[in-house]
Amino acid sequence: MDTAAAIGAWLGAAVIVLADGRRGLAVGIGLVALGFAGLAWTEGSWVGTAFLVVGGAAAVIELLRARPHDWGFMPPGSTARLILAVVGGIISLWIAASVTTGPGAPLRFASLAVMALMSGRLLQSQSATAVLTAAAGLAIALAGASAIAPSGSDYAPYLLGAAIAAGALLLPVSESRGA
Amino acid sequence: MEPELAVALPAAGALIGAALRPRPRVALIAGAALGVAGLAALVLAAPGLSSDQLGLRLSISAMSRALLLAGGGSLALVVAFAPARADRTALLTWGLAGLAGMAAIAAAPTLDLVILVTLGVALLHAALAGGRSLSARLRAPALAVALLGVGLVLARLEGPPVLARFAAVGLVAGLAAALGLLPYIHEFDPDEPTSASPIAWIAFLGPVIAVAVVMRARELIPTAAAAFGAMLVGLGLLNMLWGSLASWLTEKGTSAWHYSFMADWGLVLCAFGVQVADGQAAAVLVLYGILLSRLPLYLWSRQSLRERVQTDRPINLLAAALLAGSAPFAGFAARVLLLRGASQLYWPLALVIAAGLLLWLPPSLRLGRSLGLPRGRQAIGAGIAIAASVAMGLYPQPILTLAGL
Repeated sequence: MDTAAAIGAWLGAAVIVLADGRRGLAVGIGLVALGFAGLAWTEGSWVGTAFLVVGGAAAVIELLRARPHDWGFMPPGSTARLILAVVGGIISLWIAASVTTGPGAPLRFASLAVMALMSGRLLQSQSATAVLTAAAGLAIALAGASAIAPSGSDYAPYLLGAAIAAGALLLPVSESRGA
Repeated sequence: MEPELAVALPAAGALIGAALRPRPRVALIAGAALGVAGLAALVLAAPGLSSDQLGLRLSISAMSRALLLAGGGSLALVVAFAPARADRTALLTWGLAGLAGMAAIAAAPTLDLVILVTLGVALLHAALAGGRSLSARLRAPALAVALLGVGLVLARLEGPPVLARFAAVGLVAGLAAALGLLPYIHEFDPDEPTSASPIAWIAFLGPVIAVAVVMRARELIPTAAAAFGAMLVGLGLLNMLWGSLASWLTEKGTSAWHYSFMADWGLVLCAFGVQVADGQAAAVLVLYGILLSRLPLYLWSRQSLRERVQTDRPINLLAAALLAGSAPFAGFAARVLLLRGASQLYWPLALVIAAGLLLWLPPSLRLGRSLGLPRGRQAIGAGIAIAASVAMGLYPQPILTLAGL
């Protein structure tokens, strides 16, 4: 189950990188949240699972609530983004499965892949919605990655990560005043 | 209970300040009262002792506490002696929100929570209406969070020793991006309100973030501590050089101030990288100088920068001497400590830093002139900032003791 959850989280991050429309971004953040919720479940943290599901659901609802309802999936000129999504996944997989040792390879893969892809999206995008979705994905990944700590993780990172993911897309998108 | 109060009281002050915005006088009094109460909680907090009221072991280190108190002092100075046309309620509201974020970062028990709180602060800061687009405002701090996150994950993984070095790269790069230093200089709009501009990161939130990251990083990657220190020194030297030259040569006065903050941060990174007691003391004194002198003087100079007024009065010369770190100001004591620390570690490094310090002189004369001729409240504020810097320079021990050094 943890392998499927990790692949789901990477797929979600890849969709956030590749989509410009609100529906596409909603699918992406939903997959990221479900993936990390699954990983938290396999780590035995049902509280963390619940927080991530609620935070992810709030982000999805917020994205789907506002218009326009479009997918914007892989618009023309997305080749670089596609390469980023694939190469980011492969390098993360190599580090998680080959370079590092010990149990929890799926969580390592998902954490590194989602953080790397969200960084790429933050650097590349000019759209406020895409940047806020990437920040929400980053918050979920950071919360999930807290389980890598040797002492495990308590509820606080999950609660904070979920709150940030839920709140990020509620922020008023006040764009430039003409600078 | 004190760490919880140090976060909650300024946060409540910011919320009340925002809610009472239509009645600025009441908002100012209520916000100031809660801010002072938050600082009192900080003063009462025993450094390093943890509190567990929320199921979370919160504690504030001595160094973080000292910087939080300096942040509170800086906010008080800026609001009390704000220019006549400045919106003091907005300054206090956003300052208190920043102070609450800084206290939360300082009190967080793990680096995970430090990074998540920083992301929360970045999102709230990006939501402020400014001259830049939201994506431009959020990009650098969110990238910082991602880099710090990757660094943290790599630090915790089991594997070859080189992983710890990569973790150090992630943490140093993340710190530079959070502060807005080379190579991640935040996009800067000279006409943007200060609370929404990158100055909030480099001059107000930055000191506490830097202390939180540097102190925890040393515990996380003890095997790569030397590499971590060397990267801090290298990045520090680069920012000293770039910041001071750009501050001297750039056309716009506001940008010159922005670059001067970068140059000061170069000193701080070198001081943290030196990793001996004198280096840590130098870092604390430079950070005090940023919070209590450079930031208030920058805010008071904005009016004259807009009106393109430059004066050559004694006050301008004093401000220039303060900004250049000459005796008897705090910057001088910091520089002496840094050179002593660097010479203990590796004397050619002290030589390079000493040569770099000369670069502060030309931009400081320019920045001093740009202060104009302060009048009324601003003149009193400038006098206090200069007097505080002299006091810190002549007798820095109380501050160093407060910071646990």
